[in-house]
Parts: sequence; C-alpha cells; structure tokens
Amino acid sequence: MRDHVKSGALTEVTFFILLSLYRPRHGYAVMQFIEEQTRGRLVLGAGSLYGALNTLNRKGWIEPAGEDDDRRKQYRITDTGRQIAAGELARLRALADTAAAIMEECTETDTEKEALYG
Amino acid sequence: MDKRERAKKAEDRKRRVCYRYFANLVRPQERWLNRMAAEGWRLTGTGKLKYEFEPCAPGSYEYRAEFVGQLSSHKSREYRTFLEEMGYDVFYKNVNLNWSVGKVAWRPYGQGAGQIATSPGSYNKEIMLVGRQAGDGPFELHSTWEDKAGYAGTLGRAWLSAAVILLMAAAGLAMSAGQVTLAGGVLGGLGVCFLVQAGLYQREAESCREEAQIEEQEGRR
Repeated sequence: MRDHVKSGALTEVTFFILLSLYRPRHGYAVMQFIEEQTRGRLVLGAGSLYGALNTLNRKGWIEPAGEDDDRRKQYRITDTGRQIAAGELARLRALADTAAAIMEECTETDTEKEALYG
Repeated sequence: MDKRERAKKAEDRKRRVCYRYFANLVRPQERWLNRMAAEGWRLTGTGKLKYEFEPCAPGSYEYRAEFVGQLSSHKSREYRTFLEEMGYDVFYKNVNLNWSVGKVAWRPYGQGAGQIATSPGSYNKEIMLVGRQAGDGPFELHSTWEDKAGYAGTLGRAWLSAAVILLMAAAGLAMSAGQVTLAGGVLGGLGVCFLVQAGLYQREAESCREEAQIEEQEGRR
C-alpha cells in the first residue's frame, strides 16, 4: 500500500476503504461502496481489496466487526483510522485550495497578456 | 435400466471432462478457461489434470487464474473464503504433478523469509481458478498498479526459484558425469526457459511500478 510516509498522504483506495468502513461492511460491500461513490471510476479488484484490508487491519486503522447474516467477515474503522481519515480530508482541502489559487492566478495572467498583446 | 439411472446418464452426458496440464502457466490456463466459458462451459471442479464443466449460456462466465503459492496454508484458505464471500467460484489447481502426502517444501519466493508448503496443506494448491458471472463490470483481481507490480514480482520470483533449481540440477549432473548428458541438457534448457519467464515477469513488475508513480489505477484518465 503506497501511502506517503512523510506527508501522510493516503492513496485514493486507502481513503475510500476507510470512508466505507465508517459503517461495518464486508469485502463485497466495500467494493460496491467505492464503485457507487466514484460512479464506476474506481473499481477495486478483489485481490487488491483483500491485500488492502489486511494491511489496514495490521496497522490498526480498521478492525474486524463480526459477521453479517450470511456469515461474511465485516470490518469497521478504528479511532486511529478516523484520525487518519480526518487528516487526509484536511490535506485534500489544503491541496484543492492551493491548486485553485494557482490555476486562478495563471488564468488571470493569461487574460492580462491577451488584453495587452491581443 | 430404471428411470433414475437414465436420468443420471443423461445428466452425465451434459457434463464435460477435459484433461490438461498447464504447470505454472497461469495466463494460458486463464485464456483456455475463458475460451471454454465462451463456448458455454462453466467450470465445476478440478483434479490433478482434470477440469470438469457443466453447460452454461455461452459467454455467461469469466475466469481469472491466480498464483497463490507464496501464501501460507492459512492465508490461502482465508483468501479463498474472501473470494467466495464475493460470490465467486473458486477452485484450487496444482502446479506440480506429483501425488504426495506428508511432503514439506520451502518456497523461497513466499512472503517474508519464504513459506513452508506441506501436503496436506498448501502443496498442490498453488493456483486459484476464480470464476464469476460475466457482465458485472471489469473482472480484475488486481486493480491497482502497485498491486499488479507485487503480483508480477511474485510470479517472477516463483519462476526464478524453479529456474535456479533446474540449473543447479543440470550443473550437478554435468559435474557427476564429467560431460553434458541428455538429461542435463534438457534440465538446463528448461532452466534457461524458466529464467526468461522470470525476467519477463520482473520487467512487467518494473513497468507497473513506474505506472504506480504516476497514477494509482489503470484507466483513470
């Protein structure tokens, strides 16, 4: 799982798995949640999901939450996982602000150039 | 012949049994299963060389073959359960052809410092054949570039381990005979082929790692 060590940046898959587990869910439900929330843009393979769930469980960001009616193993986010997800949301907001400011500034500069040189 | 026997015979006629040996060739095995599914045959069971099918609507099933020889017996069972919970059909398949009980083997390409494979256990269960009903979006077990790189790396290491064993055996035969024998030559040739296969998978892993630096999952643009 390629989460950036120093900046604390999570991969999109990690972040979505954490978000999906604010409610207890089994693997298939996590996969469906991500597909629905991204409108099919992010479709996670079962092997990748299995590896990611194991890694997050080992890190203590998620934990087993018993079984559902069909005896499927469920997971839920832990307090540590919630802190990590909140940190990621703050990072993404800061990133979006920075990106918007840069793009806006560049658009303004281009408009000024056009006004000057036609 | 009574009615029940006739019904059973008619049922058996509907089934199809094929005998194939793919060894560690995961992708050709996957392609063959998908060809069978396209012709209307759904996998229902496997044996050492045997594949059992039942009729289904042509193209209604799709398959992926995955190498899992690097996993411990416990992890392999856990992964199988996880896939079955997804609603997939899962069958084990052997890489080797030896009928063994009580065998213990060390797999240097396994997780951590390698894995011990035992029979009964994870020995002769090195490949998982995973099937599902077609038409429910893309069917990939490994979707992120990083995961694809890890999987290709595992396959590369498995081929490399086999290549080293074959080349060592060939060298041993040549040294004991004082010349290159036919058996030694065959083993050496196979070893070189395996080495090439290992190289191809390592190159694929490297290419996936490069993609992982840029984007997380294929087809995001």
